[in-house]
Amino acid sequence: MEGVTPEQIEEMRRQLGLGQPAWVQSALYVWHAIQGDFGHTIVGREPVLGFLLSRLPATLALTASGLGIAIAIGLPLGFLAAYNRGRWIDNTLMFISVLGISMPSFWLGLMLLLTVPVYLDFIPVAGEGPASIILPALTLGLVYSAVIARMTRSAMIEVLSEDFIRTARAKGLRETIVMSRHAFKPASISIVTVIGLIFGSMMGGQVIVENVFSWNGLGRVAVLAMQQRDYPTIQGFIILFAAIIVTVSVILDMIYLWIDPRVRTG
Amino acid sequence: MAKFLSRYFNAVFGLSILVVIGLVALFAPHIAPYEADRIFAGPRLSPPSAAYPFGTDALGRDMFSRVVHGARLTAYVGTIALVIGLGAGAVVGLAAGYSRTWLRGFLMRVIDLLYSFPGLLIALALVAFIGPSLENAMIAVGISTIPFFARVTYSVVIVERAKPYFDSGRVIGAGSLRLMVFYLLPNVLPALIVVGSLGFSTAILAAAGLSFLGLGAQPPAPEWGALLADGRSYMTNAPWLMIFPGLSIFLVVLAFNLVGDAMSEHFDPRQRWKR
Repeated sequence: MEGVTPEQIEEMRRQLGLGQPAWVQSALYVWHAIQGDFGHTIVGREPVLGFLLSRLPATLALTASGLGIAIAIGLPLGFLAAYNRGRWIDNTLMFISVLGISMPSFWLGLMLLLTVPVYLDFIPVAGEGPASIILPALTLGLVYSAVIARMTRSAMIEVLSEDFIRTARAKGLRETIVMSRHAFKPASISIVTVIGLIFGSMMGGQVIVENVFSWNGLGRVAVLAMQQRDYPTIQGFIILFAAIIVTVSVILDMIYLWIDPRVRTG
Repeated sequence: MAKFLSRYFNAVFGLSILVVIGLVALFAPHIAPYEADRIFAGPRLSPPSAAYPFGTDALGRDMFSRVVHGARLTAYVGTIALVIGLGAGAVVGLAAGYSRTWLRGFLMRVIDLLYSFPGLLIALALVAFIGPSLENAMIAVGISTIPFFARVTYSVVIVERAKPYFDSGRVIGAGSLRLMVFYLLPNVLPALIVVGSLGFSTAILAAAGLSFLGLGAQPPAPEWGALLADGRSYMTNAPWLMIFPGLSIFLVVLAFNLVGDAMSEHFDPRQRWKR
Protein backbone atom coordinates (compact mmCIF):
# COMPACT_ATOMS: atom_id res chain seq x y z
CA MET A 1 0.00 0.00 0.00
CA GLU A 2 1.31 3.41 -0.91
CA GLY A 3 1.36 6.28 1.51
CA VAL A 4 0.95 4.06 4.55
CA THR A 5 3.98 3.67 6.78
CA PRO A 6 4.71 0.33 8.47
CA GLU A 7 4.23 2.17 11.78
CA GLN A 8 0.67 3.11 10.80
CA ILE A 9 -0.10 -0.50 9.85
CA GLU A 10 1.37 -1.68 13.16
CA GLU A 11 -0.70 0.92 15.04
CA MET A 12 -3.89 -0.20 13.27
CA ARG A 13 -3.17 -3.86 14.05
CA ARG A 14 -2.63 -2.96 17.68
CA GLN A 15 -5.86 -0.94 17.83
CA LEU A 16 -7.89 -3.79 16.34
CA GLY A 17 -6.21 -6.33 18.60
CA LEU A 18 -5.11 -8.43 15.64
CA GLY A 19 -1.89 -9.50 17.35
CA GLN A 20 -3.75 -11.61 19.87
CA PRO A 21 -4.84 -15.21 19.34
CA ALA A 22 -8.32 -15.66 17.87
CA TRP A 23 -9.85 -16.96 21.08
CA VAL A 24 -8.65 -13.93 23.01
CA GLN A 25 -10.16 -11.67 20.35
CA SER A 26 -13.48 -13.52 20.59
CA ALA A 27 -13.51 -13.42 24.37
CA LEU A 28 -12.71 -9.70 24.31
CA TYR A 29 -15.52 -9.13 21.80
CA VAL A 30 -18.01 -10.86 24.08
CA TRP A 31 -16.65 -9.05 27.13
CA HIS A 32 -17.03 -5.67 25.43
CA ALA A 33 -20.37 -6.59 23.88
CA ILE A 34 -22.02 -7.35 27.21
CA GLN A 35 -20.98 -3.86 28.25
CA GLY A 36 -22.68 -2.43 25.17
CA ASP A 37 -19.52 -1.92 23.12
CA PHE A 38 -19.79 -3.72 19.78
CA GLY A 39 -16.69 -2.12 18.33
CA HIS A 40 -16.50 0.42 15.52
CA THR A 41 -17.78 0.17 11.97
CA ILE A 42 -14.95 -0.33 9.50
CA VAL A 43 -16.31 2.06 6.91
CA GLY A 44 -17.38 5.06 9.00
CA ARG A 45 -15.38 4.40 12.21
CA GLU A 46 -18.43 5.09 14.37
CA PRO A 47 -19.55 2.95 17.32
CA VAL A 48 -21.56 0.01 15.91
CA LEU A 49 -24.28 0.09 18.54
CA GLY A 50 -25.12 3.77 18.15
CA PHE A 51 -25.00 3.47 14.38
CA LEU A 52 -27.42 0.54 14.37
CA LEU A 53 -29.73 2.01 17.01
CA SER A 54 -30.11 5.15 14.88
CA ARG A 55 -31.60 2.94 12.14
CA LEU A 56 -33.78 0.90 14.49
CA PRO A 57 -36.85 3.21 14.49
CA ALA A 58 -37.14 3.01 10.69
CA THR A 59 -37.06 -0.79 10.83
CA LEU A 60 -39.57 -1.00 13.68
CA ALA A 61 -41.95 1.39 11.91
CA LEU A 62 -41.86 -0.74 8.78
CA THR A 63 -42.29 -4.02 10.68
CA ALA A 64 -45.18 -2.65 12.70
CA SER A 65 -47.06 -1.25 9.71
CA GLY A 66 -46.35 -4.36 7.63
CA LEU A 67 -47.61 -6.60 10.42
CA GLY A 68 -50.64 -4.35 10.85
CA ILE A 69 -51.55 -4.65 7.17
CA ALA A 70 -50.89 -8.41 7.19
CA ILE A 71 -53.20 -8.90 10.16
CA ALA A 72 -55.88 -6.57 8.81
CA ILE A 73 -56.04 -8.53 5.55
CA GLY A 74 -55.11 -12.05 6.61
CA LEU A 75 -57.18 -12.45 9.75
CA PRO A 76 -60.66 -11.75 8.29
CA LEU A 77 -59.91 -13.74 5.15
CA GLY A 78 -58.65 -16.75 7.13
CA PHE A 79 -61.74 -16.54 9.30
CA LEU A 80 -63.98 -16.33 6.23
CA ALA A 81 -62.28 -19.35 4.65
CA ALA A 82 -62.59 -21.46 7.81
CA TYR A 83 -66.23 -20.54 8.22
CA ASN A 84 -66.99 -21.58 4.64
CA ARG A 85 -64.70 -24.58 4.75
CA GLY A 86 -64.80 -26.67 1.55
CA ARG A 87 -66.98 -24.23 -0.35
CA TRP A 88 -65.87 -22.25 -3.36
CA ILE A 89 -65.09 -19.18 -1.29
CA ASP A 90 -62.66 -21.22 0.82
CA ASN A 91 -61.06 -22.81 -2.23
CA THR A 92 -60.65 -19.47 -3.95
CA LEU A 93 -59.19 -17.78 -0.89
CA MET A 94 -56.78 -20.62 -0.28
CA PHE A 95 -55.64 -20.61 -3.90
CA ILE A 96 -54.98 -16.87 -3.67
CA SER A 97 -53.05 -17.42 -0.46
CA VAL A 98 -50.80 -20.02 -2.13
CA LEU A 99 -50.11 -17.42 -4.80
CA GLY A 100 -49.22 -14.96 -2.03
CA ILE A 101 -46.93 -17.39 -0.23
CA SER A 102 -45.10 -18.19 -3.46
CA MET A 103 -44.60 -14.53 -4.33
CA PRO A 104 -41.00 -13.39 -3.91
CA SER A 105 -41.27 -10.25 -1.79
CA PHE A 106 -38.61 -8.49 -3.85
CA TRP A 107 -40.51 -9.12 -7.05
CA LEU A 108 -43.84 -8.02 -5.60
CA GLY A 109 -42.13 -4.88 -4.33
CA LEU A 110 -40.65 -4.07 -7.73
CA MET A 111 -43.96 -4.72 -9.47
CA LEU A 112 -45.76 -2.41 -7.02
CA LEU A 113 -43.10 0.22 -7.67
CA LEU A 114 -43.71 -0.11 -11.39
CA THR A 115 -47.48 0.06 -11.27
CA VAL A 116 -48.87 1.84 -8.22
CA PRO A 117 -47.19 5.28 -8.50
CA VAL A 118 -48.29 5.46 -12.15
CA TYR A 119 -51.93 5.43 -11.16
CA LEU A 120 -51.73 6.96 -7.70
CA ASP A 121 -49.26 9.76 -8.09
CA PHE A 122 -49.43 10.88 -4.45
CA ILE A 123 -47.54 7.73 -3.42
CA PRO A 124 -43.82 8.39 -3.50
CA VAL A 125 -41.58 5.81 -5.20
CA ALA A 126 -38.77 6.24 -2.70
CA GLY A 127 -37.23 8.84 -0.49
CA GLU A 128 -38.05 10.50 2.78
CA GLY A 129 -41.30 11.49 4.40
CA PRO A 130 -44.05 9.54 6.10
CA ALA A 131 -45.80 8.58 2.84
CA SER A 132 -42.76 6.71 1.56
CA ILE A 133 -43.54 3.90 3.99
CA ILE A 134 -46.72 2.98 2.08
CA LEU A 135 -45.24 0.78 -0.64
CA PRO A 136 -42.72 -1.15 1.49
CA ALA A 137 -45.32 -1.73 4.20
CA LEU A 138 -47.83 -2.88 1.58
CA THR A 139 -45.31 -5.31 0.08
CA LEU A 140 -44.47 -6.82 3.45
CA GLY A 141 -48.11 -6.83 4.51
CA LEU A 142 -49.44 -8.49 1.35
CA VAL A 143 -46.89 -11.32 1.39
CA TYR A 144 -47.44 -12.13 5.05
CA SER A 145 -51.21 -11.69 4.96
CA ALA A 146 -51.24 -14.88 2.88
CA VAL A 147 -49.38 -16.74 5.63
CA ILE A 148 -51.66 -15.31 8.32
CA ALA A 149 -54.79 -16.23 6.35
CA ARG A 150 -53.66 -19.85 6.01
CA MET A 151 -52.71 -20.21 9.65
CA THR A 152 -55.84 -18.45 10.91
CA ARG A 153 -57.92 -20.78 8.78
CA SER A 154 -56.48 -23.93 10.31
CA ALA A 155 -56.68 -22.47 13.84
CA MET A 156 -60.33 -21.54 13.33
CA ILE A 157 -61.21 -24.90 11.82
CA GLU A 158 -59.76 -26.54 14.91
CA VAL A 159 -61.90 -24.36 17.19
CA LEU A 160 -65.07 -24.61 15.11
CA SER A 161 -65.05 -28.40 15.40
CA GLU A 162 -64.95 -28.27 19.22
CA ASP A 163 -67.85 -29.64 21.21
CA PHE A 164 -68.61 -26.35 22.93
CA ILE A 165 -69.33 -24.73 19.58
CA ARG A 166 -71.82 -27.48 18.77
CA THR A 167 -73.37 -27.00 22.22
CA ALA A 168 -73.65 -23.26 21.75
CA ARG A 169 -75.32 -23.73 18.39
CA ALA A 170 -77.57 -26.50 19.73
CA LYS A 171 -78.93 -24.31 22.47
CA GLY A 172 -80.07 -21.89 19.80
CA LEU A 173 -77.61 -19.03 20.15
CA ARG A 174 -77.39 -16.68 17.26
CA GLU A 175 -74.47 -17.39 14.93
CA THR A 176 -72.89 -13.97 15.54
CA ILE A 177 -72.77 -14.65 19.27
CA VAL A 178 -71.33 -18.14 18.79
CA MET A 179 -68.63 -16.69 16.61
CA SER A 180 -67.75 -13.62 18.66
CA ARG A 181 -68.01 -15.13 22.16
CA HIS A 182 -67.40 -18.85 21.83
CA ALA A 183 -65.15 -19.18 18.84
CA PHE A 184 -63.10 -16.01 18.75
CA LYS A 185 -61.71 -16.18 22.27
CA PRO A 186 -60.03 -19.59 22.06
CA ALA A 187 -58.98 -18.86 18.49
CA SER A 188 -57.29 -15.64 19.54
CA ILE A 189 -54.78 -17.75 21.47
CA SER A 190 -53.77 -19.61 18.34
CA ILE A 191 -53.67 -16.34 16.48
CA VAL A 192 -51.14 -14.92 18.93
CA THR A 193 -49.10 -18.06 18.26
CA VAL A 194 -49.44 -17.45 14.53
CA ILE A 195 -48.20 -13.89 14.84
CA GLY A 196 -45.28 -15.09 16.92
CA LEU A 197 -44.43 -17.68 14.28
CA ILE A 198 -44.48 -15.28 11.38
CA PHE A 199 -42.79 -12.42 13.19
CA GLY A 200 -39.44 -14.13 12.90
CA SER A 201 -39.71 -14.85 9.20
CA MET A 202 -41.08 -11.37 8.68
CA MET A 203 -37.89 -9.92 10.14
CA GLY A 204 -36.08 -11.90 7.44
CA GLY A 205 -38.40 -10.62 4.71
CA GLN A 206 -37.90 -7.15 6.09
CA VAL A 207 -34.23 -7.22 5.10
CA ILE A 208 -35.17 -7.82 1.46
CA VAL A 209 -38.02 -5.29 1.35
CA GLU A 210 -35.86 -2.56 2.89
CA ASN A 211 -33.35 -3.10 0.11
CA VAL A 212 -35.95 -3.03 -2.64
CA PHE A 213 -37.21 0.36 -1.50
CA SER A 214 -33.91 1.75 -0.16
CA TRP A 215 -35.65 2.06 3.19
CA ASN A 216 -32.99 3.28 5.58
CA GLY A 217 -33.40 0.65 8.26
CA LEU A 218 -31.25 -2.09 9.77
CA GLY A 219 -31.73 -4.47 6.87
CA ARG A 220 -30.41 -1.98 4.34
CA VAL A 221 -27.43 -1.16 6.54
CA ALA A 222 -26.72 -4.86 7.07
CA VAL A 223 -26.68 -5.74 3.38
CA LEU A 224 -24.45 -2.74 2.62
CA ALA A 225 -22.13 -3.91 5.40
CA MET A 226 -22.12 -7.42 3.93
CA GLN A 227 -21.16 -6.10 0.52
CA GLN A 228 -18.40 -4.00 2.10
CA ARG A 229 -17.29 -6.82 4.43
CA ASP A 230 -17.83 -4.58 7.42
CA TYR A 231 -17.71 -7.39 9.96
CA PRO A 232 -18.27 -5.46 13.23
CA THR A 233 -21.47 -4.00 11.74
CA ILE A 234 -22.65 -7.42 10.54
CA GLN A 235 -22.01 -8.97 13.96
CA GLY A 236 -23.82 -6.12 15.70
CA PHE A 237 -26.74 -6.42 13.29
CA ILE A 238 -27.14 -10.15 13.91
CA ILE A 239 -27.02 -9.68 17.68
CA LEU A 240 -29.50 -6.81 17.57
CA PHE A 241 -31.92 -8.71 15.30
CA ALA A 242 -31.69 -11.75 17.57
CA ALA A 243 -32.42 -9.51 20.56
CA ILE A 244 -35.51 -8.08 18.84
CA ILE A 245 -36.83 -11.55 18.01
CA VAL A 246 -36.25 -12.81 21.56
CA THR A 247 -37.90 -9.71 23.05
CA VAL A 248 -40.97 -10.15 20.88
CA SER A 249 -41.25 -13.84 21.86
CA VAL A 250 -41.15 -12.86 25.52
CA ILE A 251 -43.82 -10.20 25.01
CA LEU A 252 -46.01 -12.75 23.23
CA ASP A 253 -45.56 -15.18 26.12
CA MET A 254 -46.80 -12.43 28.44
CA ILE A 255 -49.85 -11.95 26.23
CA TYR A 256 -50.60 -15.67 26.56
CA LEU A 257 -50.55 -15.28 30.29
CA TRP A 258 -53.02 -12.46 29.99
CA ILE A 259 -55.53 -14.00 27.57
CA ASP A 260 -55.37 -17.67 28.54
CA PRO A 261 -56.26 -18.47 32.16
CA ARG A 262 -55.06 -22.07 31.70
CA VAL A 263 -51.48 -20.88 31.25
CA ARG A 264 -51.71 -18.81 34.44
CA THR A 265 -52.72 -21.68 36.68
CA GLY A 266 -50.60 -24.30 34.94
CA MET B 1 -61.35 -38.63 -14.25
CA ALA B 2 -63.16 -35.32 -13.91
CA LYS B 3 -63.50 -35.94 -10.20
CA PHE B 4 -59.82 -36.81 -9.90
CA LEU B 5 -58.90 -33.65 -11.79
CA SER B 6 -61.04 -31.38 -9.67
CA ARG B 7 -59.73 -32.93 -6.45
CA TYR B 8 -56.11 -32.83 -7.52
CA PHE B 9 -56.33 -29.77 -9.75
CA ASN B 10 -53.72 -27.89 -7.76
CA ALA B 11 -51.30 -30.79 -7.73
CA VAL B 12 -51.70 -31.47 -11.45
CA PHE B 13 -51.26 -27.78 -12.20
CA GLY B 14 -48.12 -27.64 -10.05
CA LEU B 15 -46.67 -30.81 -11.53
CA SER B 16 -47.21 -29.56 -15.08
CA ILE B 17 -45.27 -26.38 -14.31
CA LEU B 18 -42.48 -28.46 -12.82
CA VAL B 19 -42.32 -30.78 -15.82
CA VAL B 20 -42.16 -27.84 -18.24
CA ILE B 21 -39.46 -26.03 -16.25
CA GLY B 22 -37.57 -29.28 -15.74
CA LEU B 23 -37.52 -29.87 -19.49
CA VAL B 24 -36.45 -26.27 -20.11
CA ALA B 25 -33.57 -26.70 -17.67
CA LEU B 26 -32.57 -30.02 -19.21
CA PHE B 27 -32.59 -28.84 -22.83
CA ALA B 28 -31.62 -25.21 -22.15
CA PRO B 29 -28.87 -25.01 -24.81
CA HIS B 30 -31.27 -26.38 -27.44
CA ILE B 31 -34.19 -24.14 -26.49
CA ALA B 32 -32.32 -20.88 -26.03
CA PRO B 33 -31.53 -19.17 -29.34
CA TYR B 34 -28.34 -17.61 -27.92
CA GLU B 35 -25.78 -18.36 -25.22
CA ALA B 36 -26.74 -16.82 -21.88
CA ASP B 37 -24.03 -14.16 -21.88
CA ARG B 38 -23.68 -13.49 -25.60
CA ILE B 39 -23.61 -9.69 -25.77
CA PHE B 40 -25.16 -7.77 -28.65
CA ALA B 41 -27.27 -10.72 -29.66
CA GLY B 42 -29.78 -8.00 -30.47
CA PRO B 43 -30.25 -4.26 -30.09
CA ARG B 44 -29.84 -2.79 -26.60
CA LEU B 45 -32.94 -2.66 -24.35
CA SER B 46 -35.31 -3.84 -27.03
CA PRO B 47 -38.83 -4.60 -25.81
CA PRO B 48 -40.27 -8.13 -26.17
CA SER B 49 -40.78 -9.03 -29.82
CA ALA B 50 -41.02 -12.14 -31.99
CA ALA B 51 -37.22 -12.34 -32.29
CA TYR B 52 -36.59 -11.60 -28.60
CA PRO B 53 -39.66 -12.87 -26.72
CA PHE B 54 -38.48 -11.52 -23.34
CA GLY B 55 -36.71 -8.47 -24.76
CA THR B 56 -33.01 -7.66 -24.48
CA ASP B 57 -30.96 -6.05 -21.70
CA ALA B 58 -28.60 -3.08 -21.66
CA LEU B 59 -25.81 -5.14 -23.26
CA GLY B 60 -28.11 -6.49 -25.93
CA ARG B 61 -28.25 -9.93 -24.33
CA ASP B 62 -31.34 -11.95 -25.15
CA MET B 63 -33.42 -12.18 -21.96
CA PHE B 64 -35.23 -15.30 -23.11
CA SER B 65 -31.94 -17.16 -23.43
CA ARG B 66 -30.81 -15.85 -20.06
CA VAL B 67 -34.01 -16.88 -18.30
CA VAL B 68 -33.90 -20.33 -19.95
CA HIS B 69 -30.30 -20.88 -18.83
CA GLY B 70 -31.27 -19.54 -15.41
CA ALA B 71 -33.64 -22.50 -15.00
CA ARG B 72 -30.55 -24.72 -14.79
CA LEU B 73 -29.06 -22.61 -12.01
CA THR B 74 -32.34 -22.68 -10.10
CA ALA B 75 -32.57 -26.46 -10.36
CA TYR B 76 -28.93 -26.71 -9.28
CA VAL B 77 -29.35 -24.35 -6.32
CA GLY B 78 -32.56 -26.00 -5.12
CA THR B 79 -31.12 -29.51 -5.38
CA ILE B 80 -27.85 -28.80 -3.59
CA ALA B 81 -29.55 -26.78 -0.84
CA LEU B 82 -32.11 -29.53 -0.36
CA VAL B 83 -29.45 -32.27 -0.24
CA ILE B 84 -27.52 -30.34 2.42
CA GLY B 85 -30.55 -29.36 4.49
CA LEU B 86 -32.46 -32.60 4.23
CA GLY B 87 -29.38 -34.82 4.54
CA ALA B 88 -27.89 -33.14 7.58
CA GLY B 89 -31.32 -32.53 9.09
CA ALA B 90 -32.22 -36.21 8.78
CA VAL B 91 -28.92 -37.28 10.39
CA VAL B 92 -29.33 -34.86 13.31
CA GLY B 93 -33.02 -35.71 13.74
CA LEU B 94 -32.34 -39.47 13.65
CA ALA B 95 -29.49 -39.17 16.14
CA ALA B 96 -31.51 -36.97 18.49
CA GLY B 97 -34.62 -39.13 18.26
CA TYR B 98 -32.73 -42.40 18.66
CA SER B 99 -30.50 -41.32 21.51
CA ARG B 100 -31.63 -41.74 25.08
CA THR B 101 -28.69 -39.91 26.57
CA TRP B 102 -27.64 -36.29 27.02
CA LEU B 103 -27.07 -36.17 23.25
CA ARG B 104 -30.80 -35.90 22.59
CA GLY B 105 -31.30 -32.91 24.85
CA PHE B 106 -28.19 -31.24 23.57
CA LEU B 107 -29.04 -31.70 19.87
CA MET B 108 -32.64 -30.64 20.27
CA ARG B 109 -31.76 -27.50 22.25
CA VAL B 110 -29.29 -26.47 19.54
CA ILE B 111 -31.93 -27.13 16.88
CA ASP B 112 -34.56 -25.17 18.83
CA LEU B 113 -32.14 -22.29 19.19
CA LEU B 114 -31.47 -22.16 15.44
CA TYR B 115 -35.12 -22.71 14.60
CA SER B 116 -36.18 -19.62 16.48
CA PHE B 117 -34.29 -17.46 14.00
CA PRO B 118 -35.63 -16.84 10.51
CA GLY B 119 -33.87 -19.04 7.96
CA LEU B 120 -33.08 -16.10 5.72
CA LEU B 121 -31.25 -14.36 8.55
CA ILE B 122 -29.11 -17.44 9.19
CA ALA B 123 -28.36 -17.70 5.49
CA LEU B 124 -27.49 -13.98 5.34
CA ALA B 125 -25.15 -14.28 8.31
CA LEU B 126 -23.41 -17.33 6.83
CA VAL B 127 -22.95 -15.71 3.42
CA ALA B 128 -21.64 -12.56 5.10
CA PHE B 129 -18.81 -14.56 6.60
CA ILE B 130 -18.01 -17.09 3.87
CA GLY B 131 -18.33 -14.52 1.10
CA PRO B 132 -20.87 -13.92 -1.65
CA SER B 133 -21.06 -16.49 -4.47
CA LEU B 134 -23.71 -18.79 -5.86
CA GLU B 135 -22.06 -21.85 -4.30
CA ASN B 136 -21.82 -20.20 -0.89
CA ALA B 137 -25.42 -18.99 -1.15
CA MET B 138 -26.72 -22.50 -1.70
CA ILE B 139 -24.58 -23.92 1.09
CA ALA B 140 -25.85 -21.18 3.40
CA VAL B 141 -29.47 -21.73 2.38
CA GLY B 142 -29.02 -25.49 2.80
CA ILE B 143 -27.60 -25.05 6.29
CA SER B 144 -30.37 -22.64 7.24
CA THR B 145 -32.99 -25.34 6.53
CA ILE B 146 -31.28 -28.03 8.64
CA PRO B 147 -33.24 -27.18 11.83
CA PHE B 148 -36.55 -27.54 9.99
CA PHE B 149 -35.74 -30.99 8.56
CA ALA B 150 -34.19 -32.11 11.84
CA ARG B 151 -37.37 -31.26 13.72
CA VAL B 152 -39.58 -33.09 11.25
CA THR B 153 -37.33 -36.17 11.41
CA TYR B 154 -37.18 -36.06 15.19
CA SER B 155 -40.95 -35.84 15.57
CA VAL B 156 -41.43 -38.94 13.40
CA VAL B 157 -38.59 -40.89 15.00
CA ILE B 158 -39.86 -40.57 18.55
CA VAL B 159 -43.21 -42.00 17.42
CA GLU B 160 -41.64 -44.81 15.41
CA ARG B 161 -39.17 -45.94 18.05
CA ALA B 162 -42.04 -46.66 20.42
CA LYS B 163 -43.53 -49.20 17.99
CA PRO B 164 -43.07 -52.97 18.39
CA TYR B 165 -41.05 -53.46 15.20
CA PHE B 166 -38.34 -51.25 16.62
CA ASP B 167 -38.21 -53.25 19.87
CA SER B 168 -38.10 -56.49 17.92
CA GLY B 169 -35.13 -55.18 15.98
CA ARG B 170 -33.37 -54.36 19.20
CA VAL B 171 -34.16 -57.76 20.69
CA ILE B 172 -32.63 -59.63 17.76
CA GLY B 173 -29.48 -57.63 18.38
CA ALA B 174 -29.39 -54.98 15.67
CA GLY B 175 -26.78 -52.31 16.34
CA SER B 176 -27.52 -48.60 16.65
CA LEU B 177 -26.54 -47.81 13.07
CA ARG B 178 -28.62 -50.68 11.69
CA LEU B 179 -31.62 -49.63 13.77
CA MET B 180 -31.37 -46.06 12.57
CA VAL B 181 -30.74 -46.76 8.89
CA PHE B 182 -32.83 -49.86 8.25
CA TYR B 183 -35.60 -49.54 10.82
CA LEU B 184 -36.24 -45.85 11.44
CA LEU B 185 -35.09 -44.15 8.24
CA PRO B 186 -37.49 -45.93 5.84
CA ASN B 187 -40.38 -44.79 8.02
CA VAL B 188 -39.14 -41.23 8.19
CA LEU B 189 -38.67 -40.92 4.43
CA PRO B 190 -42.34 -40.40 3.45
CA ALA B 191 -42.60 -37.43 5.81
CA LEU B 192 -39.29 -36.06 4.53
CA ILE B 193 -40.39 -36.35 0.91
CA VAL B 194 -43.54 -34.37 1.67
CA VAL B 195 -41.78 -31.54 3.49
CA GLY B 196 -38.90 -31.76 1.01
CA SER B 197 -41.13 -30.31 -1.68
CA LEU B 198 -41.93 -27.34 0.54
CA GLY B 199 -38.24 -27.14 1.50
CA PHE B 200 -37.31 -26.91 -2.17
CA SER B 201 -39.53 -23.87 -2.67
CA THR B 202 -38.17 -22.19 0.46
CA ALA B 203 -34.61 -22.83 -0.70
CA ILE B 204 -35.21 -21.42 -4.18
CA LEU B 205 -36.90 -18.33 -2.78
CA ALA B 206 -34.12 -17.72 -0.26
CA ALA B 207 -31.33 -18.25 -2.79
CA ALA B 208 -33.00 -15.93 -5.29
CA GLY B 209 -33.37 -13.36 -2.51
CA LEU B 210 -29.68 -13.59 -1.66
CA SER B 211 -28.73 -13.21 -5.32
CA PHE B 212 -31.08 -10.25 -5.60
CA LEU B 213 -29.25 -8.61 -2.68
CA GLY B 214 -25.95 -9.20 -4.49
CA LEU B 215 -24.91 -11.85 -1.96
CA GLY B 216 -25.48 -14.90 -4.18
CA ALA B 217 -24.84 -15.42 -7.87
CA GLN B 218 -22.50 -12.80 -9.29
CA PRO B 219 -22.75 -11.21 -12.75
CA PRO B 220 -22.85 -12.37 -15.49
CA ALA B 221 -24.52 -15.55 -14.14
CA PRO B 222 -28.13 -15.58 -15.41
CA GLU B 223 -29.55 -16.53 -12.00
CA TRP B 224 -33.14 -15.25 -11.78
CA GLY B 225 -32.67 -13.24 -8.60
CA ALA B 226 -29.49 -11.68 -10.02
CA LEU B 227 -31.30 -10.87 -13.29
CA LEU B 228 -33.90 -8.97 -11.27
CA ALA B 229 -31.21 -7.00 -9.48
CA ASP B 230 -29.56 -6.21 -12.84
CA GLY B 231 -32.82 -5.04 -14.36
CA ARG B 232 -33.57 -2.66 -11.51
CA SER B 233 -31.48 0.17 -12.93
CA TYR B 234 -33.59 0.14 -16.11
CA MET B 235 -36.86 -0.32 -14.27
CA THR B 236 -38.82 2.52 -15.81
CA ASN B 237 -37.73 2.22 -19.43
CA ALA B 238 -37.25 -1.55 -19.62
CA PRO B 239 -39.71 -3.22 -17.23
CA TRP B 240 -39.48 -6.53 -19.14
CA LEU B 241 -36.05 -7.05 -17.58
CA MET B 242 -37.81 -7.56 -14.25
CA ILE B 243 -41.10 -9.10 -15.26
CA PHE B 244 -39.84 -12.36 -16.75
CA PRO B 245 -37.17 -13.47 -14.24
CA GLY B 246 -39.53 -12.64 -11.36
CA LEU B 247 -42.39 -14.49 -12.98
CA SER B 248 -40.14 -17.53 -13.38
CA ILE B 249 -39.19 -17.56 -9.69
CA PHE B 250 -42.83 -17.13 -8.75
CA LEU B 251 -44.00 -20.01 -10.97
CA VAL B 252 -41.37 -22.48 -9.72
CA VAL B 253 -42.02 -21.67 -6.08
CA LEU B 254 -45.77 -21.83 -6.65
CA ALA B 255 -45.46 -25.23 -8.32
CA PHE B 256 -43.47 -26.72 -5.45
CA ASN B 257 -45.89 -25.24 -2.91
CA LEU B 258 -48.92 -26.68 -4.73
CA VAL B 259 -47.34 -30.13 -5.01
CA GLY B 260 -46.14 -30.02 -1.40
CA ASP B 261 -49.57 -28.98 -0.13
CA ALA B 262 -51.29 -31.71 -2.11
CA MET B 263 -48.87 -34.32 -0.80
CA SER B 264 -49.19 -33.32 2.83
CA GLU B 265 -52.96 -33.28 2.45
CA HIS B 266 -52.88 -36.72 0.86
CA PHE B 267 -50.61 -38.30 3.46
CA ASP B 268 -52.16 -36.65 6.51
CA PRO B 269 -55.73 -37.90 6.91
CA ARG B 270 -56.43 -35.26 9.53
CA GLN B 271 -55.82 -32.53 6.99
CA ARG B 272 -57.84 -34.30 4.33
CA TRP B 273 -60.75 -34.41 6.70
CA LYS B 274 -60.35 -30.69 7.28
CA ARG B 275 -61.10 -29.78 3.70
